Amino acid sequence: MSDFLIHVSAVACLYGILALALNLQMGLSGLVNFGLIALFGCGTYGAAFAHLWGWPPLAGLALGLVFAALLGLFFARLGDRMSEDYWGIATLSLAEIMRLVFTNEQGLAGGAQGVSGLPVTFAALPADTAALARLALYAALLVVAFVICQRIARSGFGLSLKLMREEPQLARALGYDLARSRRIVMVVSSLMAAVSGFLYAHYLTFVGPEQLMSHETFLIWSMVIIGGIANNWGVVAGAILMQFALAYVPFVKDWFDVPSDFVAATRLIIVGGGILAFLIWRPKGIFPERIGGSHV
Amino acid sequence: MIEASNIRAGYGDGPDILQDISMTASAREIVTILGPNGCGKSTLLKTVAGFVRPRGGAIRINGEGAETVPIHEKVRHYGVGYVPQTDNVFRTMTVTENLLMGARDLSRDTRNERFEALMTQYPTLANKRRRKASALSGGERQILSLARALMAGPRILLLDEPSAGLSPAMMHDVFEAIGRIRDAQDMCILMVEQNAYEALSISDRAYVLSLGKVALTARSADLLNDPAMERLYLGGDPDA
Repeated sequence: MSDFLIHVSAVACLYGILALALNLQMGLSGLVNFGLIALFGCGTYGAAFAHLWGWPPLAGLALGLVFAALLGLFFARLGDRMSEDYWGIATLSLAEIMRLVFTNEQGLAGGAQGVSGLPVTFAALPADTAALARLALYAALLVVAFVICQRIARSGFGLSLKLMREEPQLARALGYDLARSRRIVMVVSSLMAAVSGFLYAHYLTFVGPEQLMSHETFLIWSMVIIGGIANNWGVVAGAILMQFALAYVPFVKDWFDVPSDFVAATRLIIVGGGILAFLIWRPKGIFPERIGGSHV
Repeated sequence: MIEASNIRAGYGDGPDILQDISMTASAREIVTILGPNGCGKSTLLKTVAGFVRPRGGAIRINGEGAETVPIHEKVRHYGVGYVPQTDNVFRTMTVTENLLMGARDLSRDTRNERFEALMTQYPTLANKRRRKASALSGGERQILSLARALMAGPRILLLDEPSAGLSPAMMHDVFEAIGRIRDAQDMCILMVEQNAYEALSISDRAYVLSLGKVALTARSADLLNDPAMERLYLGGDPDA
């Protein structure tokens, strides 16, 4: 049970980093990114390519960060030419294209079979200690990501992002360069997503295209919506809550002796139903964004 | 201050909304752009502001070519303040926060000084400084958006239908506020309006647009006494 808790907590930390990245885009800046998983995939496939080419793992991290920064910039440039709705669809399409390419191109990171045998972090330590060390590393990185997001949210730059979300034309009329703000926030959040993906790849020791399924993006969306859009505390709470809720679904199956199909279906219901329920009854999430406070 | 020559502009792949329009506006002057719905008034203002890039012609601000300069650079470089017709306040922010949004590049002292001056000038806002902008009436929001534009100390003010959706009493307050700004500061104000009589009463000159072209230009006082103008825009007897 302890191993299970450590495992769920470790994955919750990695999803927490990813949720914070989405919150920077969607929560703070109003950038409705349905292709977040592609940025996460830059990190996983950075790790996969480094492994295939015999590079050290940290080179895989650098590769993943470069991929993610470029893809984030590309997303941002698309946003210069499209309205918010169309941009969301474009990001979803690009993520699907990326997944289909990795699925069907056998010569590219193993195709549908993926890449296995990646070195696990802290492999030299005894298994129990390594698991705890990994959890500590992921938790520390989650704290770092949280501090970065908090600092951005409270800065003048964060204010420009909120204005972009609220009234973009008005923000431009007040002298804010929204295209530049969009580029910066997309690159920063893409790097965070890639770090999460890289660690996830080395945690599972496997990278495959099924990790890029679009429902993974919506899982992260549910964490942000349920926790509290634009509230970093809420987003981390949402990530932990959702990860634990999903992790305990198999136990419910055993208790009530229902078929295995129940697990997959219930996970989708929790994600989809959770998003829907919160959007209808509590659209600001468990921890709503705090607005206001600065006075002369 | 503003000199637009032979401007052609439109949206996307659509036809030219503005067809060969030329106009000027100087410091310490209110210039009103009038015309029926769909004649291109707001498009002209947005083109001068930098939201719409002209397809042809030239826009010079303070003698410099500015037709390709986007709005956020015009705000900083030429001191342009733009007040949109709708969505003109940050609704989730308080009155104070809305005003501070207009003072991003100012020192703390200047910012506080201007804030207090505006609070004195607009007691309506002072009384509601801690209220959310969403709780203000239409007229109060218009005053707030005007005051926010003034926080930055603009040299050019572009107003897109400042009286849109306001009651007659509120409309009067807003126009009075605009008139005071011109009188108190060496500012160039370019205003698009539907309420011709009120707008002409406070402005110095006007351009009347029709189908994307300048149909008439004259001093406001002359237009107010023009029977044709009265017939077309001021509710005069069409058969007179």
